[in-house]
Amino acid sequence: MELDVRGEICPYPMLKAVEAMKKLKGEDNVVVITDHAPCLETIPPQASRYGYTYQVEENGGAEWTITLTPNGGM
Amino acid sequence: MELTNETPKGLSTLLRNMPRQSMIAVLVLFGALGLAVVMSRTESILAPLWLLAMAAGFTLQRSRFCFASAFRDLFLFGSSRIMKGIIVGLAVATIGFAINMYSQVPFPGFGVLPGEANILPVGLSTIVGGLLFGFGMVISGGCVSGSLYRMAEGYVASWVSVGGILIGLGFLSQTWNWWWQFTISREPMLWIPSKFSLGYGGGVTLTLAGLLIAFLLFLWLESRSGLSVADIPRKKEPDDTLGQKLSILWSSVFLRGWPAVVGGGVLGVIGVLMYMVHMPWGVTGELARFSNTIMSTLNFAPSEAIGLSDLGGCSGQSDGTGLFTHSFAVTVGLLPGALVGALFASEFKLRFPRNPKRYAQALGGGIIMGYGAGLGIGCTVGAFFSSIPSLSISGWLFAFALSGGAFLGVQAIKRIA
Repeated sequence: MELDVRGEICPYPMLKAVEAMKKLKGEDNVVVITDHAPCLETIPPQASRYGYTYQVEENGGAEWTITLTPNGGM
Repeated sequence: MELTNETPKGLSTLLRNMPRQSMIAVLVLFGALGLAVVMSRTESILAPLWLLAMAAGFTLQRSRFCFASAFRDLFLFGSSRIMKGIIVGLAVATIGFAINMYSQVPFPGFGVLPGEANILPVGLSTIVGGLLFGFGMVISGGCVSGSLYRMAEGYVASWVSVGGILIGLGFLSQTWNWWWQFTISREPMLWIPSKFSLGYGGGVTLTLAGLLIAFLLFLWLESRSGLSVADIPRKKEPDDTLGQKLSILWSSVFLRGWPAVVGGGVLGVIGVLMYMVHMPWGVTGELARFSNTIMSTLNFAPSEAIGLSDLGGCSGQSDGTGLFTHSFAVTVGLLPGALVGALFASEFKLRFPRNPKRYAQALGGGIIMGYGAGLGIGCTVGAFFSSIPSLSISGWLFAFALSGGAFLGVQAIKRIA
């Protein structure tokens, strides 16, 4: 599931990522695209809470992709 | 980013590999340094104040420091990441401020307060101001200093927030005299070293003990939240040659975000240096001056604020006339500092919120926050980050009120999708 939260600032990207992880219950990845650097600090700590691991990629141009993968892979 | 991957071979390679934003960063940096020289002709201490404010803006941007999220995240999900940074900064500043205040007022028992310290009235105005400020900053998504440095990073909503703050400060200026007669004129300024006959030693010990208790409380909160941060796996960069070592140094200062604790510590040191130069850091006074100037231009000037100039803090800082004043230097200097930080990291981008509600939140939150900042005689910087190290009770009361306001704000934003 892709979550494009560009333009949104704290805490909304984090709240939306949490909502998505809750809804998917580990059945799908959550791919968060953001242009708000503080998300790199707020979203990863939430991952382990909902049984996900995370990976951060820099896309350049002040944009990042945070991929949340359920524990045990897809 | 390209810069870090290979060793610079010469100036031409360096320039070719330099991201465009970095080149603009160099221009902004030279422009801002040039302005420091211009300002020093008006008054010599304006230059160091401006440079320190630039350093503060750079630090805020690099460590993604946000007082609003520090308070908000405690209630939203038990995280105290930035709060720990704030506590480190307050501890550093407490010791530095005490040394500085000692040189001004060696014997605190006589009831004389150090002139420039942010020792503010303690009472209903502190509580109402803090509640409004805490609520407003959570709604708008950033406090006054946060909105200022995000303006420079290209967040359009932060421009709207700062507009709201100016409006809120305007409303407060129009109602200040009512508040003065209603409560502020009777509120005491409680300075720990003199009021409780504790001296500097007692004041510093008590303040540091309070910070330690807060720190432990936040750790406990965090331990209950279930949050854990795994290390971000990062490729080990080669660090054999001098060039590679320099490149790693460059990227840890200019490209990667700093840990919040480092940011807090650096801000504490900057606060102490500003106070040594002239006065503690604060950003509300200049915005209030700006707001009053706009109202005067619109023939809606507020009547003169009774008692305000005797209170010190941010209001006492908005002294002088003309463009280049002390408060101008410590406030507006944030913008080029944060812009340079954002540009070197290639993080500058004009960001427009897609959800129109966000503009309303930025404006409404800004107005509420501005009114609270006027009433509390300062924001998270002047009435909190510079006030607790001034060994003033007002900083602690304002912090509690901010927390209360942030708690209410969290309940509200959970309902705004």
